Amino acid sequence: MATRPASREGSEPLSILDPAGPEGRAALARLLAPALGGAVTVREVVALSGGANSATWRVEAEVTRGGAAPEVRCVIFQRSAGRGAQGLPRRVQAEVMQRAGRAGVPVPPVLAIPDDASGLGDSVVTGFVAGEALAPRWLRDERFAEARGALAAQCGAALAKLHAVPLSAWADLPLGGGSGAELLEGMFATYRRIGVDVPAFDLAFAWLRPRMPETPPTCLVHGDFRAGNFLVDEGGLAAVLDWELPHLSVPEEDLGWLCVQAWRFGHWQKPVGGFATRDALLAAYRAAGGTVEADRLWTWEVFGNLKWGMSCLQLADDHVSGRVPSVERAAIGRRVSEVAADLVHAIAKGDL
Amino acid sequence: MSHPTAVQLLEAVGLFLREAEAALPGRLGFHAKVARNVVAIVCRELAQDPDSAEARALAAFGGPAAVSAGLRSGELAPDDPALLAALAEAVIARLAVDNPRYPTLARLRAPEDSS
Repeated sequence: MATRPASREGSEPLSILDPAGPEGRAALARLLAPALGGAVTVREVVALSGGANSATWRVEAEVTRGGAAPEVRCVIFQRSAGRGAQGLPRRVQAEVMQRAGRAGVPVPPVLAIPDDASGLGDSVVTGFVAGEALAPRWLRDERFAEARGALAAQCGAALAKLHAVPLSAWADLPLGGGSGAELLEGMFATYRRIGVDVPAFDLAFAWLRPRMPETPPTCLVHGDFRAGNFLVDEGGLAAVLDWELPHLSVPEEDLGWLCVQAWRFGHWQKPVGGFATRDALLAAYRAAGGTVEADRLWTWEVFGNLKWGMSCLQLADDHVSGRVPSVERAAIGRRVSEVAADLVHAIAKGDL
Repeated sequence: MSHPTAVQLLEAVGLFLREAEAALPGRLGFHAKVARNVVAIVCRELAQDPDSAEARALAAFGGPAAVSAGLRSGELAPDDPALLAALAEAVIARLAVDNPRYPTLARLRAPEDSS
């Protein structure tokens, strides 16, 4: 992790074009022309939600082929947030996403990857996939009832296909990772660097230490496979988004992360993303050819909850340390109490 | 005594933030909502004093810092029922301040978990 931000900053041009400005639009039009197979005029560039690590725009492009009437195409332009952004360079993310798509995981199609000369920065253009991205909405609305019923099987199958790709297929990409024990120790080092004492986190570290596997990684994991990163339509899983954190690990990391309390959005009786039981997920994963043990899933679910708690602690530390003063980050610090309660419940009662 | 009290002042700020939230666009409106939640947390913290409650819950083990240190050194075992009961009491005190509507709070308070 420590080497990535430096190498990224080094490869970034000094000034990056605003995609909504005239030069940015012209650069996007040049980039899209070969991908869309015609002369392109960029009509509209609308900023969508921006995460901590990336910014996203919806781009409306008018494509003219020969003498035919112009066709309007919607595409998505996504760019790293720049300095301090976590995760892999966009170009590597796009490569992982394309290979995952070829393995059978539903992903948005990659249309173009800008090079350094484009002025568009570390970014990618993907096709627009229709669907609902707000998990609280598709977890609640009646029109997604059928989708919710199908999601466990679709998630199990998507993960089984991703995890079945042999490690050798990723060997050319600069991906991090490690054994479960190494990932836990990395997290503990961050915890001690921040320097606060959260007794429930120490409980979880002590509980996890003898349980985390020391065996080397067996597959590539998505690394952030959760309800908030799905596009869901009436048929269920339309696309898996946010390929910012893939790394080499074991299947249970993705499966356990999907069960973390924070992504159940209050629907805690359904541990898998607020929409299914663990048994349904395990059955779907096995039916699609995957191998997983229920007790190992539980260990990684506890790990996932602790990992989310560590994110809360780090985001709060951004504010407390003065790096990123923000009411939002300060407030997230108090979500540590939620995770502390979840960890104590999980370890004391053997369930969450 | 102060008049209004600290809690009454914060409640007034909360009312203002509710108005601001409705009037402000996008990200600013969202941040007003977050700020209102922060003010509510501080109100509850002034009333409930979770630091003292956590210290009382973990007193038999030397207090919060000693529990963290003991779990790190291995002197305390993560499966010790008395420790788990004390930690449950401690996290309940904090969560009742930080997010009293969080489902796990009620589940931890229930004598026998129904799940």
